[in-house]
Amino acid sequence: MASISLVVVKRVKPLPSWVAPLLSFTLGIAVATVLLWIVTLGRTDPIVVLASIGRALAMPQLLLKNFALLTIVGIGLLVSFKASVFNIGGEGQFYFAIIAATWIALFSGVGAIAIINKVLMLVVGVLLAGFWALIAALPRGFLGIDEVPVTLLMNYIAYYIVDYLVFNPWREPKYKYPRTPTIPEESWFIRIPGTTGTIELILLTVVVMAGIWYLMNNTRLGLAINVMGSNPNVLRVVGINPSLIVVSSLVISGMIVGIAGVSYLAGEAHLITIPAEACTPMLGYTGILVAWLSMLRIAYVPVAAYIVSALINAGINIQIAGAGKASVVDVFIGTILLIYSISVIFTEYSVKIIVKR
Amino acid sequence: MYIVQVLSTTAPLMLAYYLASLGHSIVEKSGVLNLAIDGVFVLSVAVAFAQAIYTWNNPLIPVVISVASSIAVGLILVYTTSKLPVSHGAIGLSLMFLCYGLSGVIGVPARTQQGLTGQEVGYPISPVSSVWVLLYIVVVGLGFLLHYILERTKLGAMIKASGEDPLVAEALGVDVLKTRILAGVLGFALIGLGASAFELLYTRIWREGTGIGHGWIAFAVSLSSGRHPLLGIITAFLFALLYEYRFSILAVGLPREMADALPYITAITAMVIYMATPLKTKLKTPKSLGKPFFKEERTI
Amino acid sequence: MLVEHIVVKEVTKRFPGTLALDKVSFTVYRGEIHALLGENGAGKSTLVKILYGIYTPDEGEVYINGKKLVITSPRDAVAHGIVLVSQTPTLINDLTIVENIILSLRHYNLFTRTRRVYSEVYSVLESLGLGIDPNTEVYKLTYTQKQMIEIARALLLKAKVLLLDEATSYLPLTEKKKLFDFLKKYVKKGNSVILITHKLPEALEISDRITVLRKGKVVGTVEKKKADITVIRRMMFGDTEFAPEAIKQRESIGNGVTLFIENLWVKGELGEYMVRNVTLSVRKGEILGIAGITGSGQIELFEAIMGLRKVERGIIKIDGVDTTNKDTGFIRSLGVGYIPDNPLEHGLSIDHTLAENIALCPKYSSFIIDWHAIRQDADRLVREYGIVTPSINTPIKLLSGGNLMKMLISRELEYATKLLVAYNPTRGLDEYTANKVRRNIKEKKAKEGLSVIFASEDLDEIFELSDTIAVMNSGRIVGVFDKYRATRDRVEELMVM
Ligand SMILES: Nc1ncnc2c1ncn2[C@@H]1O[C@H](COP(=O)(O)OP(=O)(O)OP(=O)(O)O)[C@@H](O)[C@H]1O
Ligand SMILES: [Mg+2]
Repeated sequence: MASISLVVVKRVKPLPSWVAPLLSFTLGIAVATVLLWIVTLGRTDPIVVLASIGRALAMPQLLLKNFALLTIVGIGLLVSFKASVFNIGGEGQFYFAIIAATWIALFSGVGAIAIINKVLMLVVGVLLAGFWALIAALPRGFLGIDEVPVTLLMNYIAYYIVDYLVFNPWREPKYKYPRTPTIPEESWFIRIPGTTGTIELILLTVVVMAGIWYLMNNTRLGLAINVMGSNPNVLRVVGINPSLIVVSSLVISGMIVGIAGVSYLAGEAHLITIPAEACTPMLGYTGILVAWLSMLRIAYVPVAAYIVSALINAGINIQIAGAGKASVVDVFIGTILLIYSISVIFTEYSVKIIVKR
Repeated sequence: MYIVQVLSTTAPLMLAYYLASLGHSIVEKSGVLNLAIDGVFVLSVAVAFAQAIYTWNNPLIPVVISVASSIAVGLILVYTTSKLPVSHGAIGLSLMFLCYGLSGVIGVPARTQQGLTGQEVGYPISPVSSVWVLLYIVVVGLGFLLHYILERTKLGAMIKASGEDPLVAEALGVDVLKTRILAGVLGFALIGLGASAFELLYTRIWREGTGIGHGWIAFAVSLSSGRHPLLGIITAFLFALLYEYRFSILAVGLPREMADALPYITAITAMVIYMATPLKTKLKTPKSLGKPFFKEERTI
Repeated sequence: MLVEHIVVKEVTKRFPGTLALDKVSFTVYRGEIHALLGENGAGKSTLVKILYGIYTPDEGEVYINGKKLVITSPRDAVAHGIVLVSQTPTLINDLTIVENIILSLRHYNLFTRTRRVYSEVYSVLESLGLGIDPNTEVYKLTYTQKQMIEIARALLLKAKVLLLDEATSYLPLTEKKKLFDFLKKYVKKGNSVILITHKLPEALEISDRITVLRKGKVVGTVEKKKADITVIRRMMFGDTEFAPEAIKQRESIGNGVTLFIENLWVKGELGEYMVRNVTLSVRKGEILGIAGITGSGQIELFEAIMGLRKVERGIIKIDGVDTTNKDTGFIRSLGVGYIPDNPLEHGLSIDHTLAENIALCPKYSSFIIDWHAIRQDADRLVREYGIVTPSINTPIKLLSGGNLMKMLISRELEYATKLLVAYNPTRGLDEYTANKVRRNIKEKKAKEGLSVIFASEDLDEIFELSDTIAVMNSGRIVGVFDKYRATRDRVEELMVM
């Protein structure tokens, strides 16, 4: 009786690191386009779809904002994921940074003072986001309480806190719309003409990438965070307290996400609209996707962020072009990502076929 | 009689959350990180709705097909993550998008048909008949059954071994792929059942997006009870109860947002309490949950 | 008449950066105990893992009973009656012993209650002299106990070919005798055994034939009758200078007390006292060896010294500083090196590289890691201890068992300036390296006044290395001897008393 089995083996020499992502993405688009055509019973025009994607990919200026924000959030979450601490609470941390920054901009009295306002928005925003992460980090670090459900549930609590603030004390007084007043223009990040991005956001993205890269590769804290993810016992034995490492990774992660929160407020939204649960840009969740797609490698985070933001834009284009509704677009995006996630491993692995007799 | 009222009102939502969270627990005990849960839940809700429309509210077919579609998606997740060294998180979230989309593709035409025929779907659970008691019996029965399987049988040991350390499990003779497929079929069947209960017993209506977020709640119920089949009953009940009655709580004079947040706060509190009991060691996250599984890479 | 049982033909296995097996051929006859020897990293484990279906060979064939077999998983292997007892414990830590064992038993269906095999397991454990409740979770056991569980598992699986990868070295003496007697009877029934060990006398005692591997190639196979220990050593190590007894014992013990322990009580994993009222002291430049069978409380004692386990009662002082229940980081900063019982679980992070594992230790780097300096340290350790690795940037999980151990020992021995706490410090090392490690320890003690407290389940090592010998039994110190006054018989008697 002959049987065939597939065995995955590690390549002795890995492929160049850009080959697999590129091929995977292309393959994903091809398969998804065919699938889309089938799902819609031949009613979509593949050309329109491909053109939409092409437009999204070829116009980085329109992706800039989402790309940069997703990169920041992805990097932030990666710091905790590396320690096997799964921060699903990006949304909450994002909103806590927004709460802090809004307060600085609207109610602290420094909202209109150049430079100081932005610095304070960032600092206080980052600190408050870190504080929100700390609430989940302490019980995880010292009592071993699973951070995944805690951070996830805390997102909802954060939404409701935002709702409470905006609905009551911070409500915009004129028309009583469910939102805050607009923050002073002096506190807005400076738009780069012709793009969706802002100067500060781009600077922050670069700083975050470089800073976290340095932290993870050149400091003992970064190394300890890495080791935490594979064997916490070792940390104890070499004399590093694993609890502190857990807490630091989660708090750093929250703080980085907070940077994205402040940038979103100051560069894009300029006010908070509620209900938060419905108005959120969902970057805390999409960032999880980015972090996983990057396979937890810092260098791949921007690649993943680019793919995701391009797909989101392409999705909008497809809808505008009338080639598919929101749900069809989701099918399309899901398929591309799925194929990408599977085929991207072939940088390092190959499949061997074994015939048994 | 107020108690009967409360228990029967809470029953459908509790059943939905509990079944889905129980399924999720089994999948994750076998080591597969299931971030597809919300998508799968939403898809199964849509399938149950569509089939109920097309079969004139047949009590069985919608459930069967909904469960089957949940299993189908689950198998993709389980197979790829166990056969290839891929990222569980990326596969799970991609499937989530895919499922969100499919749910619209499948549900919208049925909704259009419903608009024409006025066909109603589902079965309300009334406090008058005692069907609601049955729901509690199902919950408790399944809880004990799965607890028994996980803690007392060879299958349970195989599932836990695959989640703790799949490489070692293989060396001990466990077929990790097969085990995870078994756990996946069982787990995703329960998730599909939970979603059907959500649609057919709880909401009984559908529009695009119905169910989004509720899969995550099932996820949170599962994890905050340490993936323990019996503790999950308590958390699911508390969560469903507070969710259903959050507006009654307003009467106490709390701000509305506080009432909204209460189920979530309670779930966290319950988890802290569980962790203070001797059960603590049983509630740990499986050591290899979500870690890529690659056979040739092992030491010594 | 000799019947071929297992034939390995021209098997080659490559790993990134390593040629682990290079056209290896050898034959095991029915009814023989075949010893497989070779220095660390020679390819012994890789070979038996191929037979057990953990790796698939790149080239070459395996024949069992004359039939060509492609073994792609341990399940295949078990189905053909091949069972491996691995070098590092391969058990699921969070499951109980019974649960671990039932995983392998194919004749039980999925819904069999684990309880059904309880008594079966119990009696096999008993026969191995392991008085442990089969419902105990595996993480509560010591390294050696875990290996014994694996041997029990192999027996329960009714293997026809038993692959023992360094599984016999640390068995308590009486149990080892029993096992060897068992193996002799076992092969008489037409079964075969492949035994990997670093103890040449042991190999010569029990095996029928010996095959030596070196750098992935077969050096040769010799009949026991014609074998001679020096010839085999030469086959294993080539012309490497071999100086087993070249260490001069200098009297270097000072007066100061480096480690002082008084009336110590420590609880074990199961919540009962494992260290009972222990009082000990180690002087500057002294090596104290603790003899005892596995599970006598040595591990708990050491963990307490390192601040890894709570001291219930009593005092520990290191160089006059009270370290009772102090933080491990603080204790280590006093210059204390530590080699734990299970290096892979507690000593090293196997997903990380050699350089990273060094950088993790506070002494080698400050908050900002100077990778240049670390690489130099790493290169030095690799050279000095002959660690076989493609590079210092290879994840150490790809190293052989002995080389992993070398990596840990070299790091800790360099780290220790005042005190070295070590459990089975030469476990898994080949003879040459083991000697070298012992020599380095003695040198460091003589030259730098390092104090050492170590425990070993191997009496030879205790006698070879210690200045003072303490015997530990059921958590108590039952005898302390000067090295020159201790007799083997007396120590053994106290160990099992
Ligand atoms: N999975 C793997 N990937 C890469 N290299 C490997 C792998 N397994 C083993 N090696 C390499 O193959 C060589 C042989 O290793 P093996 O474990 O067979 O040695 P060994 O003879 O058992 O040594 P020891 O006595 O130290 O246990 C070593 O150089 C090791 O680093
Ligand atoms: Mg070996």
